[in-house]
Amino acid sequence: MTEKIRIIVEEDKCYLCGGCAGVCPSLAIKVSSSKWEFFQDKCISCRICVTACPVGALEAEVVEGKS
Amino acid sequence: MSEIMKYDVVVVGAGIAGPIVARNVAKEGYSVLLIDKKSAIGAPKQCAEGINISVFEKHDIPYDKRFINREIYGARLYSPSGYTLEMRYNKVSGVILERKVFDKMLAFYAARAGADVLPRTEATDVIREEGKIIGIKAKKEGEPIEIRADILVAADGVESTIARKAGINTYAPPHEFDSAYEYEMLIEGFDPDLIHLWFGNNVAPRGYVWVFPKDEDRANVGIGINSDNPMTAKHYLDKWLKENNIPFKKILEVNVGIIPVGGFLKELVKDNVLVVGDAARQVNPMHGGGMAEAMEAGTIASKWIVEALKEENFGLLKNYTTEWWEKDGKRLERVLRVRKVVEHLTDEDLDVFIQTLSGIDAEKIAGGRYSEVIKALLKHPKVLMSPRRIALLKELL
Repeated sequence: MTEKIRIIVEEDKCYLCGGCAGVCPSLAIKVSSSKWEFFQDKCISCRICVTACPVGALEAEVVEGKS
Repeated sequence: MSEIMKYDVVVVGAGIAGPIVARNVAKEGYSVLLIDKKSAIGAPKQCAEGINISVFEKHDIPYDKRFINREIYGARLYSPSGYTLEMRYNKVSGVILERKVFDKMLAFYAARAGADVLPRTEATDVIREEGKIIGIKAKKEGEPIEIRADILVAADGVESTIARKAGINTYAPPHEFDSAYEYEMLIEGFDPDLIHLWFGNNVAPRGYVWVFPKDEDRANVGIGINSDNPMTAKHYLDKWLKENNIPFKKILEVNVGIIPVGGFLKELVKDNVLVVGDAARQVNPMHGGGMAEAMEAGTIASKWIVEALKEENFGLLKNYTTEWWEKDGKRLERVLRVRKVVEHLTDEDLDVFIQTLSGIDAEKIAGGRYSEVIKALLKHPKVLMSPRRIALLKELL
């Protein structure tokens, strides 16, 4: 079984720059002017957003599969 | 039932490309709505704010001191071991803008030309009717609205939400983005008439650290690194400041963003939807600047929007793709090729190249006569002795 993750934002670190939404291949993140949102059903567990965040505000939490 | 608005053209995003399109189309008498999700257009900035002096005349933008912090006369490049290469002109070559004011003024020019402008209005989706896109859904200060328009312009930045909702594949691999982090801060000891760039694999992997002076003692001090790097951009910038004993406790702003630096969008138009600027990844992949590119794309896009509306033939919109690729795409593809070579340079390569270049006529480099520059490099003994360096440079010729 492949690993499935959930992306969590540390709100106090996040600048709402929208970069994570930009690099996400599957529109699983939406950044509005006032909030950051994650859509589990769209996430493909690639972690590109976690690595790309310029300030390290994102974290991946394993929700299914190997931990 | 949400409020319904109707326009010939709706432009999503009031950065650089969006307002240029809105202004140019409104000027021809068509109805245009320009929206932006932010409450204050232009803030916060996601930019080092440097731009070439030529864009003002080229794109009919007033040279207004209200958004020009400082005039710049050239650049100084620093290699990992401290060799420097200076390109100084005897006249102003660029300016450091105040994006907060600049973007707002671009939106102002659009409004003055006849466009409607609504900040704090966020596009959430496209509206389809019988398979055709007929407008967008948005939230205006939280209230749902529908904006019906014949033509949609996605100028919504790196997130590119509207283009993607319209079914345009804007995907690029993570290596083709830069992660950027910047302080606007007080800093001393750097010639405020030049921009300063530091290179090195431990300084800024794939990218560089920049100091772009906005005052004699104030600058945008930032960094861009490959976005698939395991460390953050912030980590590298703070490390560089500490290692160079540059105090950073007088900070006026912290700016963050992701920059598309390669693999430009192939199809810039789908039916009645056009993609411009960062959303189309129209950025110089070498230095990560995208303002001039956004202006160019906006200018070409608006020309074909006006033609399409005039002739009532939306098939003409496709000419934006063709003309952009012909004019700017080809050039940027060449720049991308150079970047892909340069990103494999070792620190020693950078030292050798910058040291050698500092010895040759800087005017040649400044004048863009790159083949002569590369030929000069090829003659250097440290290059001649390395088949790998020769191969790298020949790649560039």
